[in-house]
Amino acid sequence: MTDNTAPSQSVGPEYLPIGRKPTATVSTNLAHDNVTILPQTSQLIALLTMIRDKNTGRADFIFHSNRIIRLLVEEGLNHLPVVEHTITTPVGRTYSGVKFEGKICGVSIMRAGESMEQALRECCRSVRIGKILIQRDEETSKPKLYYDKLPEDIAERWVLLLDPMLATGGSALMAVEVLKSRGVPEDHILFLNLIASPEGAKNFAERFPKVRVVTAFVDMGLDEKNYIVPGLGDFGDRFYTM
Amino acid sequence: MSSEVRRIRYSPPWGDASIIGVAGSSGSGKTSLALAIVASLNLPWVVIMSMDSFYKPLNAEQSAIAFRNEYDFDSPEAIDFDILVDRLRDIKQGRVAEIPIYSFEKHNRIEKTTSIYSPHVLILEGIFALHDQRVLDLLDLKIFAEADADLCLSRRLVRDVKERGRDIEGCIKQWFGYVKPNFYKYVSPQREIADVIIPRGIENTVAISMVSGQIQKTLAHKSAQHQEQLQRLGKIAEDAPLSPNAIILPQTNQVKGIHTLLMDPKTSTEEYIFYFDRLVTLLVEKAVDFLPSHPEQVITPAGNVYMGLKTSVGTSAVVILRGGSAFETGLRRTIPDCRTGRILIQTNYRTGEPELHYRALPKNIAEDGLVLLLDPQMSSGGAALMAVRVLVDHGVPEDRIVFVTYLAGPVGVNRVLSVFPEVRVVVARMGDDMEERWVESRYLGC
Repeated sequence: MTDNTAPSQSVGPEYLPIGRKPTATVSTNLAHDNVTILPQTSQLIALLTMIRDKNTGRADFIFHSNRIIRLLVEEGLNHLPVVEHTITTPVGRTYSGVKFEGKICGVSIMRAGESMEQALRECCRSVRIGKILIQRDEETSKPKLYYDKLPEDIAERWVLLLDPMLATGGSALMAVEVLKSRGVPEDHILFLNLIASPEGAKNFAERFPKVRVVTAFVDMGLDEKNYIVPGLGDFGDRFYTM
Repeated sequence: MSSEVRRIRYSPPWGDASIIGVAGSSGSGKTSLALAIVASLNLPWVVIMSMDSFYKPLNAEQSAIAFRNEYDFDSPEAIDFDILVDRLRDIKQGRVAEIPIYSFEKHNRIEKTTSIYSPHVLILEGIFALHDQRVLDLLDLKIFAEADADLCLSRRLVRDVKERGRDIEGCIKQWFGYVKPNFYKYVSPQREIADVIIPRGIENTVAISMVSGQIQKTLAHKSAQHQEQLQRLGKIAEDAPLSPNAIILPQTNQVKGIHTLLMDPKTSTEEYIFYFDRLVTLLVEKAVDFLPSHPEQVITPAGNVYMGLKTSVGTSAVVILRGGSAFETGLRRTIPDCRTGRILIQTNYRTGEPELHYRALPKNIAEDGLVLLLDPQMSSGGAALMAVRVLVDHGVPEDRIVFVTYLAGPVGVNRVLSVFPEVRVVVARMGDDMEERWVESRYLGC
């Protein structure tokens, strides 16, 4: 375990005086411009508390993680380009709005990343979703690509890469390499992540400075087994099988 | 912060209810008279309250006497005037009044109560409606219904046997033992203080139309006052900067893109619904951030400690019909089991005045940590003001109310927040004042 101490602060709506806001552990800050951490609202902290708690059952785990993932997707989509588009409203006024530009697709890193697909579909109805399976090789203990199935025209799309937990970042780094090898420009990749370790996020952000990372929370650190601390256990197990 | 804000008074049309008392002998046709008046008006905000609901509950001994038909129900002593006055004061001030239900079979109050809320005019009918000075002080019009004694007796016999499960002999015993003597002693003197004496009950159509004409005048006056008040509040709101309690969703690219799609008449209904639901989900996520929480430590499956937050109080929602129903899909994505009340507020197309037609609120709504009021569009703020007032009247603390809307005008928002400075408004986009309603029509397809 690293010697990082968890940052703690008062969270709650702006209008409340500090003394009336409850105190909780909030995300560690990172000095990387390409990492966006969701605003640490009391709701977000309450949702994270729910899914970290070992006593939370599977139904609640799924529901509450889905709520956070939806916020991640919404934040991620904000980094996509738009073009100006003025329209006339039903009551005859003009509104100078914007139009979404560019095709997108999702790519989930199996299996935990697939848990984020529902929330993605709730925001982008008919989005194409590719898959990448990366497993740790028992012999070398390095990540190894086992399988991938991606949209053929992925090079022309913006890619939302999905993986809820970023520990050492081995699989995520490899997934980006896979995407790049298929011709996706680095700055067209958005990595959506629920909980990251400071080490993993730093590695990732420095290795791919043009990839945008959107995460809900940067945790305290990693333990000797390279698990995120405090983390929430194995996301895939809690979502799919526990 | 909120204490610095000057609070401006708003009184809904039920804020100063008019109360009409109808007294008269047992069987004189008070109830039919009251019903005839209400029927001739045919408005939901004119309500009848019978003094029968306010009989004192009887103890075992009294109850035994009552079952022998020897209890004097026709004396003012049998009526619980204290509770009656209390409830009348609630109604007069526009609060929710819980009215006891009296069982004539059991000679006792049953546990349930009926609630009376928001009548603009209340008709109180009972043999002693004009008896107690405290009641008289609350009355705006005092009516005495007069009828021939033979007619009264025969009506009473029919009613008590048919509707109240008594036998004829017992009824006659009561009539001569209690009803008749009490009439001369207590009922008849009320004639002297009545404003109007109506003979021949419902047959007297002239009197009925006179009284309903008088009530109509009162209602018109209340409505005019209400509209004038809304206008005055609008003027105050126009001059004020937008209140800090109005929280506008950050206009990110996605939010702006969704606005563009929603406002474009060329967007298909299917797309409109999809994007509206998506935006409502964001609005509700923003609104529930006001739910109070407290620090709580949890242990993760790996045995690590996390100092987080828990909420121990629930969120409920109140949909302002019909538009608010467009928010329900988005609401349930965030709170699937949200208890949801409904109120129907319609704007009178002739006067432009909002009117409360229907309300069904979750039980104990006042105990929830947060109550979301849902309406996709707020223009003048009149309906919003009324809806917030309904919640406040039901005991919901102002600072636990969040009004969630898609589109609002600054004057409307300020109008609501100048009256209720601790309420919060969460809005997806600020529009012009007095924009016609279109948001829910697009969603619902009509």
